[in-house]
Amino acid sequence: MSSFLLKTLTKKEEIDRIIRDTIDEVLVLRFGRCTDTVCLQHDDILAKSVTDVSKFAKVALVDVDSEDVQVYVKYFDITWFPSTVFFFNAHHMKLDSGTADHTKWVGAFHIKQDFIDVVEAIYRGAMKGKMIVQCPVPPERIPKYQLLYKDV
Amino acid sequence: MKEPSKKSEIEYCKVCRLHHDHGSRHKYFPRHKDLLSTFLDRFRTKIADVRFFLKNPSVLRPQEQSQNRVWCVFCDEDIVELGSSFACSKAINHFASSDHLKNVKQFLSKNGPAMDCIDDFRISEANVATWRRKCQSLGSEDASSFKGSCEQLSGTSNDIHNKLAFKTMDKIENVPAQLINSHHSSDVLPLQYNTNKYQISHSELPGVAHYGSYLNMDSSHLPLHTDPPSNLPGNGFGKHVIPSRSKDYPSSQDQERKQIKGSYSSPGEVGMTSISSSHSSDACGNVHSGAPPPWLDANDGNSSNVQLNQSDMSSSFQAKIPGNTRKLNPNRVGAAWAEKRKIEIEMEKRGQTMNSKVDAEWLPNFGRVWQSGTRKESRKEFEKEKRKLVKTESISTESEPVKIQPYISKRARRETGENGSG
Repeated sequence: MSSFLLKTLTKKEEIDRIIRDTIDEVLVLRFGRCTDTVCLQHDDILAKSVTDVSKFAKVALVDVDSEDVQVYVKYFDITWFPSTVFFFNAHHMKLDSGTADHTKWVGAFHIKQDFIDVVEAIYRGAMKGKMIVQCPVPPERIPKYQLLYKDV
Repeated sequence: MKEPSKKSEIEYCKVCRLHHDHGSRHKYFPRHKDLLSTFLDRFRTKIADVRFFLKNPSVLRPQEQSQNRVWCVFCDEDIVELGSSFACSKAINHFASSDHLKNVKQFLSKNGPAMDCIDDFRISEANVATWRRKCQSLGSEDASSFKGSCEQLSGTSNDIHNKLAFKTMDKIENVPAQLINSHHSSDVLPLQYNTNKYQISHSELPGVAHYGSYLNMDSSHLPLHTDPPSNLPGNGFGKHVIPSRSKDYPSSQDQERKQIKGSYSSPGEVGMTSISSSHSSDACGNVHSGAPPPWLDANDGNSSNVQLNQSDMSSSFQAKIPGNTRKLNPNRVGAAWAEKRKIEIEMEKRGQTMNSKVDAEWLPNFGRVWQSGTRKESRKEFEKEKRKLVKTESISTESEPVKIQPYISKRARRETGENGSG
């Protein structure tokens, strides 16, 4: 249901356009499927928070089942859904949440405030020129997962 | 990646409204100090309003009780004046209490500046004692005049309201004249104001300026509109109110006072007074016509006009971006790219055809998970992988499909060959 409120992108050109047109704002790209339950929970949190962060962030959803988007799925090394990637001025922002993968947020957020805090931390870091920021979410609310290296 | 020197628990700072893991260092950060000073100043204005009523106690009518409330930021509780006969009595008692003092000390030790400003946020016992004496004297005056008027009423009707009023009068010493509007002296006015943004014109009390900020800040209580003649629904006040849309409360008061002198309606009328339009000079214009505000002098106004007329592309573009109209940090991530992109967009808008078609192979700057070099290297690596993948796919499609046949042994082939030739 929240996919009606947030833009869903299915083509590489759309993703490119949104990355290039988002200037001086954090761009949040969620890679996932709108039918998956965890993605649904994640999308719900995003949809509720989008107005709160609208002054410094933009949120968009990317459907991973689309053919055109597979190049980004490979480029961003996305193996778990939902995965959220953050950009600022077309530069990728890394997030150190204590997990193995700093390039994205894997899984759903537990509460709205966590998402808002993460986006705010990224915005503050980006405004200071930092490309990697510390995650403000407490460890008990960070989803855990295993990363495989080349299917090992 | 650098590890922080001290990993502390994540805490929530009430002042900055932020989660942080700085621990006890957080209160020395300059940003926190700035926010703390504004935070404490806001509370100081609230307590100043309460101190006004400490010096000038006045009666509190029941219909105003629910709006006469204060949020104590140190104790995290809302002090509502339900059942109190004097304005801010519960607030005064709260600020003088030992629990409040304890909470203030705790807050200051956790967040803030030195303890020397602790007296700003509490009311001393001596002041409370003088306030109580004043209330008693005020109450006795009220009670004597109230009794006189009550005698008149008792003969006329056995209205249940009057019965209750007599009962409460017996119980409470200093009950004010709750039900008799005519008793209200013209000196005691402040409580009849309904929200922070509005003020009764004819009162010249010095403390009234602060009064509005003290009252319930939630303007949703009263849906006030800009149409002056319309009556407010649920407005139980006996005085009129002049609506004003301006958020800048102190400045608007002075303007209203100037304008209202000629347009005062009789007391006891519920409703609003219209400001005569002759006051607003058409030549100057107003906020809707885009005229400069009156606090800019004529000289300054000219210079500001000149600045506005300058068609500076970057400044006009920055103004369009929501929020940030000030100069952004040039060291922020992707600053150079952002500036270049802004210029491109501006030129596209102006109609100059740029190379707007984005290369299909364009990829954003991304640091991959398993890469060990710079981000450019990760992009090159990815493109190499993509080319390899494309090559292998093309090779597989170009080669002819191998026809699978069953295995025939040499002897069988020889025999068939001999049979064929023979």
